[in-house]
Amino acid sequence: MADAAIHDHGHEDTRGFFTRWFMSTNHKDIGILYILVAGLAGFISVAFTVYMRMELMNPGVQYMCMEGARLTAAAAGDLCTPNGHLWNVLITGHGILMMFFVVIPALFGGFGNYFMPLHIGAPDMAFPRLNNLSFWLYVAGTSLAVASVLAPGGNGQTGSGVGWVLYPPLSTNEDGFSMDLAIFAVHVSGASSILGAINIITTFLNMRAPGMTLFKVPLFAWSIFVTAWLILLALPVLAGAITMLLTDRNFGTTFFDPSGGGDPVLYQHILWFFGHPEVYIVILPAFGIISHVIATFSRKPIFGYMPMVWAMIAIGGLGFVVWAHHMYTVGMSLTQQSYFMLATMVIAVPTGVKIFSWIATMWKGSITFETPMLFAIGFLFLFTVGGVTGIVLSQAAVDRAYHDTYYVVAHFHYVMSLGAVFGIFAGVYFWIGKMSGRQYPEWAGKLHFWTFFIGANLTFFPQHFLGRQGMPRRYIDYPEAFAYWNWISSWGAFLSFASFLFFIGVIYYTVTRGKKVTEENYWNEHADTLEWTLPNPPPEHTFEQLPTRDMWDKQTSH
Amino acid sequence: MPIEWSETMQEAPEKSGAFSPVAVLRLWPHRSLTAKGFVWFIGITATALSLPLIAVLGSVVLWGLLPFMLLALAGVWYGIVRNQTDLSLNEVLELSAERIALTRHNPRQSDQHWEANPYWVELTLHPSQGPVENYLTLRGSDREVELGAFLSPEERIMLYADLQDRLNALRR
Repeated sequence: MADAAIHDHGHEDTRGFFTRWFMSTNHKDIGILYILVAGLAGFISVAFTVYMRMELMNPGVQYMCMEGARLTAAAAGDLCTPNGHLWNVLITGHGILMMFFVVIPALFGGFGNYFMPLHIGAPDMAFPRLNNLSFWLYVAGTSLAVASVLAPGGNGQTGSGVGWVLYPPLSTNEDGFSMDLAIFAVHVSGASSILGAINIITTFLNMRAPGMTLFKVPLFAWSIFVTAWLILLALPVLAGAITMLLTDRNFGTTFFDPSGGGDPVLYQHILWFFGHPEVYIVILPAFGIISHVIATFSRKPIFGYMPMVWAMIAIGGLGFVVWAHHMYTVGMSLTQQSYFMLATMVIAVPTGVKIFSWIATMWKGSITFETPMLFAIGFLFLFTVGGVTGIVLSQAAVDRAYHDTYYVVAHFHYVMSLGAVFGIFAGVYFWIGKMSGRQYPEWAGKLHFWTFFIGANLTFFPQHFLGRQGMPRRYIDYPEAFAYWNWISSWGAFLSFASFLFFIGVIYYTVTRGKKVTEENYWNEHADTLEWTLPNPPPEHTFEQLPTRDMWDKQTSH
Repeated sequence: MPIEWSETMQEAPEKSGAFSPVAVLRLWPHRSLTAKGFVWFIGITATALSLPLIAVLGSVVLWGLLPFMLLALAGVWYGIVRNQTDLSLNEVLELSAERIALTRHNPRQSDQHWEANPYWVELTLHPSQGPVENYLTLRGSDREVELGAFLSPEERIMLYADLQDRLNALRR
């Protein structure tokens, strides 16, 4: 029998620094850890791109020389033999880090861990220690990915330059163990994501507050659940595919080697069967954040809650049946291409439902433009631009011309880099007061938004033109005819990087010296999810007493 | 509300042939997943996981993918079932004229049991001193035990009033 414990005082936070942050089983602490490590991995990954944009700023090779990578441009007289391997390693590193170690951990691991249990009124995740394991697997994966850049690889240099998709035969023939480390990195990150997904699915299904039926759950929690489900369905496919790569590389199997009866195109099918849901895994949590931000700063409940939920489910479902639009040029039959083309275009329907619902939420709302709202509107614009170019690219015939050009680079950076990253920034500014107890200076947030918005557009919009001019992606150098827009794109990248550095400063200032916010709901009454009933920052344990219905059901639509 | 009373007739212990009413109270913590919901979730997941396998049927690559698919399915199945077990904690209170007995069924641990004579039992509501708000305890047989610590504070107030009424009725 549970003997009564009447004089219990076990609720003060007595954890030391090491116990709290290194052995954490608390969903809020783990969420913050995820965001911090994702930020660090993001910095490394962004640094790669800045170096690449420096190289691409002018025709010819000035920085990535065989004689040694330089930080200052080689003058006309200096000897500089182009080092294509270094370039390939950087694009591979950038892709792997961004896809697996930056955006998903920040949105799904970070905000998902922190706010999904709060939104559904759960005391913690279903399996707190599994949550800790997920986080440290993620750290291990990130370390492996960075190690792979520095480990002996192909062409007698360090790192492997095969692209983040790891297509065989390139990946199976790459020398050195750098490639193996990269595969392990993806493996470990996949294991981390799947364990995290199981945790989140269980929490979402079984630990919702009394009375909170599935279609009363806030949209952010829904987006995290759909994301978790996609991870559970998609990542095992990737794990299988790269395991076969690993055995092809090391144990002489021929799953993807034609000389032994294998099929390298089959790898592409499997990879993209994972890869396309992956892009929705990246963007869906951002959809959730944006819904809350737009509703809050329009001072209106979200327009069309049910269509919003079903649109996310539909996007998730459709994501599994369109994968081959990434590979129109591998020699599929006309029927196959027609199917993938039409299926892809269908995705525009649920996505359109979301975009128009966001606009309808703002319609006749009492809008104010605080930083999170600016980022949300920025997201809306950039994601729509990326979506429209996506419709262009979905046409198999048109894709013949655009395939592997900068048009594709512009497209997926508009949807993912700008879409997802604007979602992350909107979330950071929306919730930093809640997470840290201190509020950011509004002018600094606005300055960050405008520099980043201008910088990002300056970087990627000209790349549409470059793509239309026929500039292929993944090359260290280009003919002089492409120089003009490359030069502008590089300046955009530098401005974006400057804004990122400024953002790090803003965050540092906010957490150490920002103005303390004591009001529980420091935005307005339309921020009506459960985290706004808690103090800033929330105590170690929240909702040990399950929240009652009047706390979360405002009779509006979310 | 996760509280349920049921009344049964039980033969009196002294074999007098008389029957005395026994009220049985069952308390369990809140959980939001129904058995049907679990079936739907696993069904959809299994179907979606088998989708890519169709594409590789007849190829050796199937055997590279299948173990990971099964692992993911088994993992989420085990996770949900384990969570259901964690939440299978429940308390059963039997109340008759001569005997009050409380059994707590713990997940993955042995049951805990307490019983006393209801005439002497003291039911106390601790509005703030307990580990949870409106902590409810029963004292009897020289031991104090908690009741329904996993319920909401309002539910405990209702339970307190209800149980106190029943105890009073028995003592009359």
